[in-house]
Amino acid sequence: MSDTALTRDGDRADGTVPAPRRRVRIPAAAGLLPFLSFLFLFLLLPAYGVVKKGFGGEGGGGFSPSTFFDVLSSESKAFRGSAKVSLVTAVLGVVIGTAVAYAAATAQRPKWLRSLVAAFSGVAANMGGVILAFLFFTLLGRQGLGTKLIDEGVGYQLYDTGWFDISGFWGWVTVYMYFQIPLMVLVTLPAIDGLKPAWREASSNLGGTTWTYWRRVGLPVLAPSMLGGFLLLFANAFSAYATVYALNNQANVVPVKISFGLVGDVGGKSSEPYALATGMIIVIAVAMGGYLLLRKRAERWQPT
Amino acid sequence: MSSRTFRSRLSRLGPNLVLIACAFFFIAPIISTTRQAMQRVPMPLLNWSSVFDKWTLDGIKKVFEDPMFWPSLQFSLKLAAATVAITLGLLVPTALYVHLRIPKARGLVEFLTVLPYVVPPIALAAGIAAFYRANARWLFSSQWALVPFYVVMALPFTYRSIDAGIKAIDVRTLVDASRSLGAGWGTTLRRAVLPNMASSLVSASFLTTTVVLGEFTIANVLNKPTFPVFSFQFFGYEPQGGIALAMLTLITTTILLGGLTILARPKAVRAARKADRAAGITRTTRF
Repeated sequence: MSDTALTRDGDRADGTVPAPRRRVRIPAAAGLLPFLSFLFLFLLLPAYGVVKKGFGGEGGGGFSPSTFFDVLSSESKAFRGSAKVSLVTAVLGVVIGTAVAYAAATAQRPKWLRSLVAAFSGVAANMGGVILAFLFFTLLGRQGLGTKLIDEGVGYQLYDTGWFDISGFWGWVTVYMYFQIPLMVLVTLPAIDGLKPAWREASSNLGGTTWTYWRRVGLPVLAPSMLGGFLLLFANAFSAYATVYALNNQANVVPVKISFGLVGDVGGKSSEPYALATGMIIVIAVAMGGYLLLRKRAERWQPT
Repeated sequence: MSSRTFRSRLSRLGPNLVLIACAFFFIAPIISTTRQAMQRVPMPLLNWSSVFDKWTLDGIKKVFEDPMFWPSLQFSLKLAAATVAITLGLLVPTALYVHLRIPKARGLVEFLTVLPYVVPPIALAAGIAAFYRANARWLFSSQWALVPFYVVMALPFTYRSIDAGIKAIDVRTLVDASRSLGAGWGTTLRRAVLPNMASSLVSASFLTTTVVLGEFTIANVLNKPTFPVFSFQFFGYEPQGGIALAMLTLITTTILLGGLTILARPKAVRAARKADRAAGITRTTRF
């Protein structure tokens, strides 16, 4: 292959320079065309279809924002349900995830601990879904091993107190933590690596206590990552469908309502699931936009 | 001296408790799943004297004997293969083109690749129903209908992986060297560029495969008989088998993804660690 190429070059060097081909000038961006059209066809068109039908009048035609707001107000309970589970799991995820990341990053002894936590987080953050729900049925379901052990061990009957059910709100929260904590660990580990030991030494040389260090140096540096992580976790929980559907297919949250509407909407006439999906896209877009902005800010102190 | 070690031990007490509690939380469901998949003792009868009784592989056998197990797995593997092929075919040329010809557009393309985050799977399913059910029924009802949408869903992960693979090599020098030796574009790609970014291509393919093999939302709403949809239905009529299947899936994905993390760790990091170890430096001296 390369031999023939060499001969060809040699020929050219002999003076038989081929006449310069006339080239039509194509803008450099043209090379992006396949990629852009793929995104257009399989992401933007569906999104446009959702928004158009979400804002459409009865029968799917025309433009009537009132349908959109009607659906949103009649399903406000689903939005509140989604917001509540997202908020609670995001706050808990940020707090516990940051603590775990800090503990793993600063641990001295088993050298492999940090890599293990990072690798496991990579796996668990992508878990979710039906399988995860099954795992927790066996642990904290009415006949679960954990439920039994808590009863035998400390005499606390989880299901007699009424607040906990694996198919209820706190059950969802428990299951969501299985992917929210690892996701936060992944987001915040680089930020914790960015905390330089020298800053701590400087702080204590200037007479600062541990508390001063955290209040004046540590937390301000971590704050953008933590806030960004909060938004990412919120969006993540808000859009989760499979997990909550497998736990309770009657759950009053936006994704389950959308799937109900879609399966029921055989003729394609109803605008309800599309209005719900539009509302969902808006919520996620705001959260993700905030996350991307904060990530830029957070990367300032991170080692590259 | 001893008071200092005592204080440093004490300061590790909190973090270590956090780590132990978390390890417990993350391991407990796996243990309970394993028990339920492989032991046939009803929970009320389980105690210290029956804990070793009636362990069986029947649940696992039921999985493999179910008539829908292999077809659904094959279907999902086919979808995964098609998704990987389209992903690589679309993204590798695009990413290389952006790096070589229009580096200014890198930020823009990166931004476009995270757009799928904004349209969650359930909203994408609504979009497929809204647009393709009305305008392209053949695509909507085709068995390959899910493939392009899986490419889109995996895009944020796959593009980042391929992009990182290109950044890690000096692609311009490679291309210039190969071209000035007379190689055409095909040879340059095949013999100079792609072999050097092999690990990033492998990791992009792995990520795509795990996305496809785990995706439930769109397949369920569009009623396609994929592997995750089968897992869910199987649990409905064969609970112990369903739990056994969950366990097998978990083990397989953990091995796949765990292997990937080791494989995809940048060579530079590995080399740096090795050098550190050789020089006797421990990077763990943080606080």
